[in-house]
Parts: sequence; C-alpha cells; structure tokens
Amino acid sequence: MSAEIENNKKKRNWKSNFTSFLFVLPYLVMFVSFLFIPLIYGVYISFRDYNLLATDHPFVGLSNYAKIFNPDSVLSSIFFEGLWKTLQFVIYSVPLLVVVGLGLALLLSNLPKKLRGIFRTVYFLPYAVSVSVISILFLWILDTNSGLLNNFLMNLGFDPVPWLTRQPFAWISLVAATIWWTIGFNMIIFINSLNEVPEEIYEAASIDGSSAWQKFIHITLPTIRPIMLFVIIISTIASFNVYGQPYLMTRGGPGDSTEVLLMGIVKQAFEQRELGSASAMAILMALIMISISVIQFKISNPKKERRGGNGK
Amino acid sequence: MGNKRNKILLVILASLIAVLFLIPLLWMISTSFKNDYEAIAGGLNWFPKNFTWDNYTYTLLSQAIDVPIFKWMFNSIFVGIAGTLIIVAIDAMAAYGLARLDVPFKKVLFPLFISTLMIPFVITFLPLYMQFSNLGLLNTYAALIFPYTANAFGVFLLYQFFRGFPKELEEAARLDGANKWDIFIRIVIPSARPVLWTLAIFSFMQIYNDFLWPLVATNTPEMRTITTGIAIMQQGSFVSSYGKLMALTTIATIPILIIFLIGQKQLIKGITQTGIK
Repeated sequence: MSAEIENNKKKRNWKSNFTSFLFVLPYLVMFVSFLFIPLIYGVYISFRDYNLLATDHPFVGLSNYAKIFNPDSVLSSIFFEGLWKTLQFVIYSVPLLVVVGLGLALLLSNLPKKLRGIFRTVYFLPYAVSVSVISILFLWILDTNSGLLNNFLMNLGFDPVPWLTRQPFAWISLVAATIWWTIGFNMIIFINSLNEVPEEIYEAASIDGSSAWQKFIHITLPTIRPIMLFVIIISTIASFNVYGQPYLMTRGGPGDSTEVLLMGIVKQAFEQRELGSASAMAILMALIMISISVIQFKISNPKKERRGGNGK
Repeated sequence: MGNKRNKILLVILASLIAVLFLIPLLWMISTSFKNDYEAIAGGLNWFPKNFTWDNYTYTLLSQAIDVPIFKWMFNSIFVGIAGTLIIVAIDAMAAYGLARLDVPFKKVLFPLFISTLMIPFVITFLPLYMQFSNLGLLNTYAALIFPYTANAFGVFLLYQFFRGFPKELEEAARLDGANKWDIFIRIVIPSARPVLWTLAIFSFMQIYNDFLWPLVATNTPEMRTITTGIAIMQQGSFVSSYGKLMALTTIATIPILIIFLIGQKQLIKGITQTGIK
C-alpha cells in the first residue's frame, strides 16, 4: 500500500513538473530558436569559407581567425583598424558619459523638489528617439554651410567648422550626439544611487563644517562608487556597439577615420558577401565585449555583499 | 541667505542645460515647416519666413513610390506591439515558472537564461540573418518580430518581482482548488501589472527604435520600419532636402515620444531596478 502511495506521489510530481514546465516552454522555444541556435550557427559559419553567392561553403577550420591575426591580410586590417576606431569612440565617449551623467544627477538632486521632475524629463527626453532620427538631426544641425551650429558661430564672428568632414571634429560630433542622446539613462541610474546616500551623514559633515566639495569627495563618491563602476561598464558596452551614428552621420569618414568595427563587419557580410570571415570578426568582437561584462560582474559582486552588510 | 541665491543659480544653470537638450528637437520641428530653399540658406530663423505644410503633405500624401510612410509607421507600430505582447506573455510565464513553480532543471535554466544578457547582438545577427534567409523568411514580419523575443531581460526583471510576491495569495487560491494556470492568470498577473508595464514600455521602445536588425532583415521599401526608412530616404531621394527629412523625423518621433511621456515612470523604475540598457 505504501508503495502505491509512493507511486501516486511520483505520478503527481511528474504531472506537476510537466505543467510547470509548460510555463517555461514558450520562452524556451524562442530562446533556443533565436539565441542558442544562432550562437552555434555563427560559430559553424565562422569555420567555413562562406560566400553568400557561392553554392558551396567549404569547411576551412580556423583559417578565418588565422587571417584576422595575420598582419598581412586585408581581414586583419579591417578588424584591427575597426577595433581601434571603436576603441577611440569608447575612450572619447565613456568618460564624458559618466562625468556628465553624474553631474546632471547631482544638479537635479540639488534643485528644489518641485522642479526636479520637469528637468529630469527634459534631460531624459532624447533617450526616447531612435538612432536614425538623432543622426539625421545632428547631420542637419552640424551641416557646414546651412547647419544651425555654424550659423550661430558665424553670427558670433567665427569661421564655419567642418564638423563632420574633418578630424578631430568628426569624433567630437559623434560623441556630442551620443551624449545628447543617451546621457539621460546614466543620469537616472546616478539619481537613484544618490538617493541611497544616508541624509544623516551629510548633516553630520555639515556640523563638522565640511564644504560641499569635501562632502562630495569624502561621502558621495565612496558611496556611489560601485554604481559608478557599473555605469562605466554599461557605457563601455554601449559605446562598443556604436554603429548608427557613424553609419549615418559621417559614413565612416572623413577618409575611413570613423569606420568602426561593427561597420566593417556589416560591410564584410553584405557588401563583400563573405559571411564566414564576417562571423569570425563578430565572434571576436563579442568575446572582447563579454570579457568586459565579466569584469563588470567581478566588480559589482562585492557591492552586493556590502549592501547586505548594511542590513538592506 | 547665500543658500537661496545658490539655489537660484542652480535653477538657472539647469534651465540653460535644458535649452541645450531641447534645441535640436525644436530645430527639427522648425525646419520641418520651411521650404528647402529656406532650410538650405541657413540662418537662425526659428520661425520660418515662409511657413509651409508642404513637407508634411508631400511625405504623407504624395504618391512617391519610395516614401510609403504610412506603411513604415504601420510596420513599426505593428512589429512593436506584436513583439511586446509576445515578450510580456512568454517572459511572465517563464519568470513565474522559474521563481515559483516546480520546473524541472530550473537551477540550470535560470542561470543559462541570465548569462545570455552578456551576449551582445553582434554575435547573433549574422547567423539570424542566415537562419531567416534559409527559411525564406527575410523581409517578413516574423523576421522583424521573433529575434527580440529571445531576450532574457524580461525574464530577469519579472523573476525578481515574482520572487518577492507574497505566497499567501497563491496558497489561498490553491486551497480553493484553483490550478497553476488559474492562479497565474487570475491572481499573479493582475498584481504584477506595474512591472509588466515596465517591461512592455522597454520592449516597445527597443523594437520601435532598433536600427541594425531591421536594416539587414528587410530589403524592400514596403517592409522597412520607420527608423530604417528615414535612414534610406536620407541617403536617397531626400538627400539634403532637410525640410522633408525633418518632417519625416518629426512624424517618426511623435508616437515614441508619446509612449515615453506616458511610460516615463515605469521606464525609470525598470532602469533603477536592473540597470540594463
């Protein structure tokens, strides 16, 4: 009899497990079809000489990767020059994305409470707009002859600046457009972390006669440091993915000075139609980005422990 | 008091920065009411000398074959809504299952899903292109919708919510004889409404504004989304026709701006809860 109960229980468990599994099933199907299989398939393609127009796609092992690391090959220059341009964009944009984001958050949190909401909305507003709208809009504003900015500068007696057709102005323009577009996101994260700094500590510091700057350095910065590292990492990842702005605003120019890695990969895939080598480059680019994410993970873990220690 | 004067200075500074944030959008609207000559002539006139609706009537009403703007708007909104509905439905089910039910292998599945949050789109977009191409599904709504539904962001966001959801409600319903599905639909979903809205707004904005995937997944004018459509116009027949381009970008921006303003609170909540772009 006890065996029968045991059996029934097992049956029930099995049935229960099955109905529960049905809850996960639809997402699992999407996950496998549009994430897991593409991952495997991407690696498969990268091991082949995969020309889109050819009917035959012979297996070539690691040869696509070998070409990327062979300094004499065209592929190598596409990859490493593209990577260098992407890195330049990261280096120019990330410090500003972090510092300006924090600056705006500090500014907002020092405004009278009634005004915070409206200013937050205004600073966050461009985040809603798509990259193609942003790019075309800045293309227009930065136009050398008819653009708003140069007309403004000429009114002040300056010469027009070739914002998109000469360096370093092209980088400045791409970074400025990106900051205008996405800074609201970082600002929101910083506002939230600033709210977590205990009010009493500031009050105690005021009584001790600390200046605003001292309070910022000794209280605010150490408290928000984990969030700051987090923002640095997500901004780095976002900047690594840059594509739309140079594709639409500078077309990779002047020359090919802003032709970032993702542009090179898309060109290799859809202009040269070489899917195999394009996939190999894409995988390498992704590995670089995943390494950055892993570093983020390592950095943001102690943060959780500390929060736990505060009894939160 | 010096304090009060400081506050006033800060408000002035904040207002100046706000002007910087608004100028590009206002200039876009201003230019959209200028004819091409006035636009190209430059100058700083915020109010068009020859105010005209021509850019809007041309982009919206002309029979120009390469400007099917209604179709583009329809595509973007349709794909955005369909994708969002699928994402919210399947992510809510999966997250609830993983957080609360006896799903087999859930200790493996959840970390597996979450670890893919680190995987950048660059690694999957070429094989996705090939997959849809092999199936003959490039240039279809399926290609424009399904790749977004694999994103684990929603599962992660909702899992955290369901983890903190009080067990008592579910148990009371279970004692009344309700099955898992009943409990999910009648009790869990209604109380998860705010966080589901957060996910919905994130998803809609992501799909509506996406650029690279719809650019490679479609190749005929009728199947373009509005974001890719305007990019192609800028390189094609509207090149340096800034009055028309600005009318186009203004039209493209209105729906998403409305969604943004309505859903801003949810959006901010989502960002602060997960911090994921």
